[in-house]
Amino acid sequence: MNTAAIKVADVSKKYCRTIKHTMLYGATDILRSFFGLNSRSENLRNGEFWALDNISFNVNPGETLGIIGPNGSGKSTMLKMLNGIFMPDKGGIEINGRVGALIEVGAGFHPLLTGRENIYINGSILGMGKKEIDSKFNEIIRFADIGEFIDAPVKHYSSGMHVRLGFAIAVIAEPDILLVDEVLAVGDINFQMKCFRKIADLKEIGKTIILVTHDMSAIQRHTDRVVLLEKGKAIAEDVPKKIISRYLSAVTGDFNELPAESKNDIVNTAQKGFLQDNLEDDLCFKRTNYNKNEYRFGNGTARIVDFKLMDSEGRETVALKRGNPLLFRVKFKFYSYVQKPVFGVIVKTKKGVELFSNNTLHENTDVPPREKGDVIWVEYRVGLDFPPGEYLISAGVATISSDEVIPLDRRIDLVNLKIAPENNKIGNAHLNTSIRIYCEQNT
Amino acid sequence: MDKNIKVTYTPRGPISAGITGPFLVTKLMVLELLSAKELVWRLFVRDFKSKYRQSALGVAWAVLMPLVTVGMFIGMNRSGILNIQDVDIPYPLYAIIGLTIWSVFTVGLTACTSALLTAGSMVVKINFPKGALIFAASGQGIVEFFIRSLLIGLAFLYFGITPHWSGLIMGLLCLIPLYLMMIGIGFILSLAAGVLRDIINVLNLMLMAIMLLSPILYPITGDNFLAQANIWNPFNYFINVPRDLIVKGSSSFINEFLLATGLSLLVFYFGWKLFYFAQTKIAERI
Repeated sequence: MNTAAIKVADVSKKYCRTIKHTMLYGATDILRSFFGLNSRSENLRNGEFWALDNISFNVNPGETLGIIGPNGSGKSTMLKMLNGIFMPDKGGIEINGRVGALIEVGAGFHPLLTGRENIYINGSILGMGKKEIDSKFNEIIRFADIGEFIDAPVKHYSSGMHVRLGFAIAVIAEPDILLVDEVLAVGDINFQMKCFRKIADLKEIGKTIILVTHDMSAIQRHTDRVVLLEKGKAIAEDVPKKIISRYLSAVTGDFNELPAESKNDIVNTAQKGFLQDNLEDDLCFKRTNYNKNEYRFGNGTARIVDFKLMDSEGRETVALKRGNPLLFRVKFKFYSYVQKPVFGVIVKTKKGVELFSNNTLHENTDVPPREKGDVIWVEYRVGLDFPPGEYLISAGVATISSDEVIPLDRRIDLVNLKIAPENNKIGNAHLNTSIRIYCEQNT
Repeated sequence: MDKNIKVTYTPRGPISAGITGPFLVTKLMVLELLSAKELVWRLFVRDFKSKYRQSALGVAWAVLMPLVTVGMFIGMNRSGILNIQDVDIPYPLYAIIGLTIWSVFTVGLTACTSALLTAGSMVVKINFPKGALIFAASGQGIVEFFIRSLLIGLAFLYFGITPHWSGLIMGLLCLIPLYLMMIGIGFILSLAAGVLRDIINVLNLMLMAIMLLSPILYPITGDNFLAQANIWNPFNYFINVPRDLIVKGSSSFINEFLLATGLSLLVFYFGWKLFYFAQTKIAERI
């Protein structure tokens, strides 16, 4: 089958600014369509505006598409139209296959009824028959993992349990197309990981997924292509890395607080699009441990141009044995005057779990202002006592302006680091244990 | 639901592939209802369970309410405040049958009117045939009717009267137009209540007025304005024809009843159709 799973063609959606107009237009629209009259929905009336304007994109079967954009850019409206909750006012959306939506999961739960009863109700709201729910019932309970609460009224559930049960029903329904909104922001980290694993599984078996989130690392890890919305328009569509950089630079590149001189520099560098390309003086990508899936954002006043990994003796290295301290050196170049630079580092597992982060602000390190043209090295000494495996290190420089953190250059997942096993260390944590053996009479 | 669905969302509403021809909208409406029949059942059971779960007397309320109402009317009649004309059967039996039939309409319509509103976030966040909410809510009227029928049975026993058996079956069938009328109005009022909360209060007032001004709890005859007006009142026939059939096995208002039935079919069809068109628009506005 080579038809698209989702075909969005020239879709626009309008909203009203005032409740009065909403009611009035709502009533006229309903009556017009009732009497079979043309709805004339393609024209704006007084007090209306386009919440989405002429959006087109296709999603192929098995593809995962990310939709990102600032608040109010129309992401949720788009998702609701894909889900058929709203109809477009112009254009058309063609959907091939059963759609499942993780948009505020558990919305149909009745508080007085038990989890068990709600599974059947929610399942049928999502279009499952009794037989289908019966056959998937145990799987749903296992995934939701809410124990004996399954027979308690839903009103006694914690918000996390609510989401877990809702999510379980929605994903186990096995839709052909899965729409995922910000839902995963709720629930504990373990459940979030479980959700993303499930989404990855669904992707593996060829399901089509649309992911709307502000979590750029989720976009980076899970999507094949990203649409960037801004003020109701699709302003870019490309591979995740490029769109993420562009988006983050746009939302964090608020440089109004900076001195006029550096503003010009930033405008100049921004026009060159430095964050998307590897600059000539950027040596990071030549390093063995460079992770080509990194993404970066910032206003570019200062930039990371190189890094080195060293063992405790100062020898350059590409992998470490567990428990040996790491010297992580990062080279920064300043393209304009920065009064209060802050340097930071983050260590994450390959799956994105943050293990450690620190910066010069937390450490109260004395960091003098930097002049235009300065080149400096910052050395982090980190005792990486983590289980063997692969880790990702991010580095960044920011500045503080009236208590607000302004990223200058953040390179997320810049470095790949392998930690090798050490014989006498087993388990996830090393707790400085000592073991003593003694006989009773000696005490 | 069909696994290989292909649907196009357009400004005119969702269009499922392969369904064309005349009466397209009616076809889509019926298909939607058929695909949602299990959902209707689940929602109905949900409403029923949750209605009685946190209530000490539970289902007994369904019986208590008409008992109290009828008791009040008997009391007012005996003390001379009201002057209810003689009817062929004992007055309490007459009143209980009338009120029980009327409850198909009142209980059902009250449930339908608030159905969209109480579903709340679900309507805005999940794509499902919203009509299922109304059909499920309408079931409350039927349930209430059957629970209250126990009272009718007891009243027949108490007064030592036997109902007309074939008339009983006919009488039950004659409740269908009242039921359809209720859903049709319920579709419209649920939309209205979604936009304007006042509708719920207005509805209670209207139901009370119709009950008191129609020959439900007492006959209204003679040469007065109310009796004349009731010639054009469909509820007159929806209540009295089934009551006559159950008690006597015949009614002298069959033609009027058929006319009222035609009206109820129209209200049902157009109410449903209006709701069908409105359901995607109401989600933006509720």
